[in-house]
Amino acid sequence: MFRQILYTQWRWSGTGIVAVSIAAFVLPILTVQEAGVTDPTWLDARQLLPAIEYWSWVYPVLALGTGLLAATTAWTHDHRGHHVYALSLPLPRWQYVLLRYSAGLVLLVVPVVLLWLGAMLAATMTVIPPGLHAYPHALALRFALAVLLAYSLLFAISSATTRTAGYVITVVVVLFVLQLLFRLAGSTTDLVSPLFDRLMTLPGPFQIFGGRWMLIDV
Amino acid sequence: MSNAIETKHLHRTMGKDFEIRDLSLSVPSGSIYGFLGPNGSGKTTTVRLLLGLLRPGGGSIAVLGRPIPSDVPRVLARTGYVPERPQLYGMLTVAEAMRYHAAFYSTWEERRAEDLTARFGLRPGLRISRLSKGETGKLMMLLSLAQSPDLLVLDEPTDGLDPVVRREVLSALLDYVSQRDATIFISSHLVHELERICDWVGVMDAGRLVAEMPMQTFKNGIKRLRVADAPSLVSDTPFVLLARETGDGLAGGEVWVVRGWQDPMKQYFEGVGARLREVVDLDLEEGFVELLRTFRKPGA
Repeated sequence: MFRQILYTQWRWSGTGIVAVSIAAFVLPILTVQEAGVTDPTWLDARQLLPAIEYWSWVYPVLALGTGLLAATTAWTHDHRGHHVYALSLPLPRWQYVLLRYSAGLVLLVVPVVLLWLGAMLAATMTVIPPGLHAYPHALALRFALAVLLAYSLLFAISSATTRTAGYVITVVVVLFVLQLLFRLAGSTTDLVSPLFDRLMTLPGPFQIFGGRWMLIDV
Repeated sequence: MSNAIETKHLHRTMGKDFEIRDLSLSVPSGSIYGFLGPNGSGKTTTVRLLLGLLRPGGGSIAVLGRPIPSDVPRVLARTGYVPERPQLYGMLTVAEAMRYHAAFYSTWEERRAEDLTARFGLRPGLRISRLSKGETGKLMMLLSLAQSPDLLVLDEPTDGLDPVVRREVLSALLDYVSQRDATIFISSHLVHELERICDWVGVMDAGRLVAEMPMQTFKNGIKRLRVADAPSLVSDTPFVLLARETGDGLAGGEVWVVRGWQDPMKQYFEGVGARLREVVDLDLEEGFVELLRTFRKPGA
């Protein structure tokens, strides 16, 4: 049963998963190549760190995109058929949801592992200046947690009815529109920044997406 | 005789304008039950309630002896379902869809699936999104039959199919029933189709059950009578008078449409000073139309 659910999800999202997996593998390598640290003459940490940091924003975006891809493709086809086929299968709804969720998780192992391999390869390719260290395992773990968080959250939203998903989107849009109106009216009221800070800094739930995503750091 | 499906005082509101009201159905085990009704009468909603796809607002449902919705997975494991609009995953091929479906049913019969694939002329490697309407209908029927169900719930299974495909699908269905003592609940507005295969009939209109009886009783019981010298007031009839109209070409005569007719009832007309000139059998479609026409009369 699980194998078949996994297979359907692979059919729906396989191309996308392959694409993000390649991106995840290449990204760490690209980071060190762009930073020029494969060049043995580069031993200045003050120049190296900003160059590595330049790419750090791509990791959380890739994690978010990967989670989004796996979460939405898990439900798109059932939504299209108004869940009639899924609901007519002889298993409790919670079990079906769990199977779909688990199948998505299995698929997400691929980009996470490839990012880990890419990070380790990039670390071995790199001449690291004294005082700096490579963190391929930590980077991969952080990527895995961010993907897990993004996937879980978006899976829950996309598993709900279109109306529920609409409510979530509406709340976000209204918030940004209100902020824009305040700004146009010359008000200094800031709705978005404090909320963003609450969510993105400890103990905010999305803290994992913030901070430094550094393959090489002090 | 036990019932494969039994609902009591079932109620469900759908939006602002439609509700299933006080629906009490009894589908005998082993029967082929035709669930008739015009479009929008509540057939699909009823089917979805029976299978636990919708939750009832009130009343009770028992399918294969188990309560719905609390025991839905066990019931669905023994039930084949062909929905009104097939909702299979379009990206899968026919063979993949069969493997996927089979994974959920311990009773899946691979041999039957292979036989039906050949019989229906389905190409296993073809994507579902590229199947014609007829092929999709055949595939749905194949999936339902290959899981060897005790109950088949078919919601307009042949709607929109050409006569050749319709015949193939129904023929496979009847073959299955002849091999197993399965119950079939088939919802349709194609009256002639049900007339040929069903032994029980239930008629829905506007969310209510208008009639439920053996097909033979339904067909035999509804008659068109040509009556001369009919009394202006009619009461205490031994049959149910569904409709009464001035007959064409009958001087002073009337046409009565009645339900529950039996030959000895002819004596009634002598008693009221009328003359029964002719008793005309109605086919199921005519009976169905007359039944609905009466039901929709104000005060019915």
